Amino acid sequence: MPLDKSLDHPDILNFSRVTVILSGTTILRDIAARVPRGSWTAVVGPNGAGKTTLLLALLGQLPYQGHIPTFPQNGSSLAIGYVPQRLDFDRNLPLTVLEFMSIGKQRTPIFFGIRKQFKEQAAELLKAVHAENLLRKQLGDLSGGEFQRVLLALALGQNPELLVLDEVAAGVDVSGARVFCELLDELRQERQFTQLSVEHDLSTVSHHATHVICLNQQVIAEGAPEDTLSTETLTKLFGLHMGLVNQNALSGRQGACDGPCCRNCQQKEAGNNA
Amino acid sequence: MPSLDFIYNIIALILPFEVFQFGFMQQALLGLILLAPMTAAMGVQVVNFRMAFFADAISHSAFAGVALGIIFAISPHLSMPLFGVIVGLGIMLTHRRSKLSNDTVIGVFFSAAIAFGLAVVSRNQGIARNMQQFLYGDILTINELDIWILFGLFLALLIFQILSYNSMIYIGLNQTLAKTHKVQVAYYQYSFAILLSLVVIFSVWAVGVLLVTAMLIVPAATARNLSRSAGAMLWWALLVSLSSSLLGLWISAQEWANTATGATIILVAFGWFLLSLLYNRLQLIRNSAGSGATG
Repeated sequence: MPLDKSLDHPDILNFSRVTVILSGTTILRDIAARVPRGSWTAVVGPNGAGKTTLLLALLGQLPYQGHIPTFPQNGSSLAIGYVPQRLDFDRNLPLTVLEFMSIGKQRTPIFFGIRKQFKEQAAELLKAVHAENLLRKQLGDLSGGEFQRVLLALALGQNPELLVLDEVAAGVDVSGARVFCELLDELRQERQFTQLSVEHDLSTVSHHATHVICLNQQVIAEGAPEDTLSTETLTKLFGLHMGLVNQNALSGRQGACDGPCCRNCQQKEAGNNA
Repeated sequence: MPSLDFIYNIIALILPFEVFQFGFMQQALLGLILLAPMTAAMGVQVVNFRMAFFADAISHSAFAGVALGIIFAISPHLSMPLFGVIVGLGIMLTHRRSKLSNDTVIGVFFSAAIAFGLAVVSRNQGIARNMQQFLYGDILTINELDIWILFGLFLALLIFQILSYNSMIYIGLNQTLAKTHKVQVAYYQYSFAILLSLVVIFSVWAVGVLLVTAMLIVPAATARNLSRSAGAMLWWALLVSLSSSLLGLWISAQEWANTATGATIILVAFGWFLLSLLYNRLQLIRNSAGSGATG
């Protein structure tokens, strides 16, 4: 049965010889990479490496050659939630957060009001991302960090098996980014989704990610963060000496924050020691 | 064709002004009651999609549409909407398929449509006389057939808005996000282009080429200033559009005014817009005063 086969598969999806050529320029060449089930897979690489392009190909927003086979749990199609990098939108559009979260779900037009069921759903999702106070606010009035949370709540509303995030920490201050990452860790454990994200902050990657794809038009390295984020790979990837970043990032990798990721690590370590 | 007399009787009954006892005024009023909600609703999305220039291009293609009708001896009531839809679809298709920016594509089609109209008119000097009506519009000459066509379009638009309002807001906000939520962006864009082209062309009859865009933009812009949610935006736009149309028609028929109806309607709508700006200003002052008191 395909159902069993899907569940058996250690990956939620694979990139198999994916090539993207846009108006004559090769953006991605022969990408082969895995996204292990239940992982936080981070895609890292320099600007213009094709990180966002890889996500857009996966989302079916760009034409590509090759295959991206998915192995969803229910055997039909993979439910993907997508949190875009920066959403360029008209900030003067009068649209409340509640409306924003309902327009993709409610069939009756919102000028007839929003049904109770969707109001409750939106409130619940906002609560999950600790942003329940934003429900009645206007989208244009939100700060960068608040808006990221709303986008995350919207993506969670898809009940995703795979959550795709594109540099969500960009445009949010350092402490905000850290809180956001910890929130994601918490949600991932609670809701059991696989996470695929483009990251620009290597310390976030080494701290949170469980699987790393180093990308610069092709796959430079892939595997656990300890193995992939070596001085050698990073130099190859970014073309400059990255040893310092690497060492700083990896030192005290475990138990470095109050998030559930580290609580688990601490518990595991405590268990091993006992 | 069934008679519209009962509607005219109702109009005469509820609006016991002297001017609304005339047949042509009743027809004009009915035409506006049908047209105003359509331009209001489409205007909301025109503003969201920043498609004011698109509407302009379509309205100016009315000129070429009339010219075409005269060449091929087809009624302009047929050639205008047909040509308008062709131009609208042409713009949408080119925009989606080419790397040029939207305003560039529209600009190209805009000028081509005008050049074509001018070329035809310059060949047939006799046509030029008919053109004035299309520049300034004349809702008072609307006939019974036009009203029936407007009814049909009204119905089509009502269904479209009910089925598509949410998705259109989504697309207006961000296309990529809408796509990941399984909104069929291309389908909505083409349907919208066709319907908007039709609404624009029919509005040309009412207010003329020069003021069509105003019929779409002014109520929607006012609604943006006044509303706090996307749902309320539609209702405000409808209120502004309908009230401006009725008041504009009434004023234009007064002896002391005696102005062109289309222009008068737009001026009333602009009055609404100024009020909405004032409202915004007051709110800003109140908010800063409120935060000053608490903070």
